[in-house]
Amino acid sequence: MQTKPNAGLFKRNPPIAGEAEAIERAKNGDPDAFSKLYALHKRRVYTLCLRMLGNVSEAEDMTQEAFLHLFRKLGSFRGESAFSTWLHRLTVNLVLMHLRKKGLQLVSLEETINPSEEDAPKRDFGSRDTQLAGSVDRVTLERAVASLPPGYRMVFVLHDVEGFEHNEIATMLECSTGNSKSQLHKARLKLRELLRQPEQLPETESSREVLQ
Amino acid sequence: MSDISDLNFDSMTPQEFEQYLPELFAMGESGRLSENPRLATFLSRNPDCAALVRDLETIAETAKGLFESDEQEPSDAVWSNIASKLNQDPGDMDEPVNLTE
Repeated sequence: MQTKPNAGLFKRNPPIAGEAEAIERAKNGDPDAFSKLYALHKRRVYTLCLRMLGNVSEAEDMTQEAFLHLFRKLGSFRGESAFSTWLHRLTVNLVLMHLRKKGLQLVSLEETINPSEEDAPKRDFGSRDTQLAGSVDRVTLERAVASLPPGYRMVFVLHDVEGFEHNEIATMLECSTGNSKSQLHKARLKLRELLRQPEQLPETESSREVLQ
Repeated sequence: MSDISDLNFDSMTPQEFEQYLPELFAMGESGRLSENPRLATFLSRNPDCAALVRDLETIAETAKGLFESDEQEPSDAVWSNIASKLNQDPGDMDEPVNLTE
């Protein structure tokens, strides 16, 4: 990826104790060090895959692919960005590649201009009857995000959850910056609709765990 | 569409405001749109638009919190497959292991 590192992501990815040493040892083929890197980053990588894919088994497959890819590419990590940021981008790119192989059009200009009636947010944007009652809890939001159409979900997760900027998302999704902004806005509008009726949202893996 | 910096929000209709919202949110990433002084008069005259802006801000702010919390744990099979793959001939490394099988 040719974009500049996002300062926000540096702030959100502070160095982890013992990580630098594990990276150097893993570069030299130490299996225990690679195991440590897996233990340190498996949750972040898996959660990212799960949010982007919305499917446990695909998310596990992509987590595995991300760490195998990491093993092959670790020698090229120069420490110019936080390791977690680097791994994060590697994972996002793998997931996007995976989705393209599946034939999923990630951001459809057609959908933005003329969305299908079922998936598009309603046009009564300013209506008080769609207003949220107050704050939104994370579990409910997670369930609503999982219910978004794939194109909306991808842009929302990359921007609002993962902290990528519109120009970075446009590069990753091969769309215009304006399309990324528009898609994000429609995703938020759709979430607003979904969050007004949280009882109708399907449960996700995470919400089931919290409720148990 | 006009340059956002030249717009007069005080004379804008809610429908026009709606068209500019994606760009306004993108411009206001370092601060809350609902607290932007340029929008104060418009939002006070259009409570539905003000509610919309607040709701979308709430959604975006809650989403930021998802990054740091609620991380999920992959099953043990993921590491087992990775370790097994790493122990194989490195020449086989490009073949993905299908965990779903």
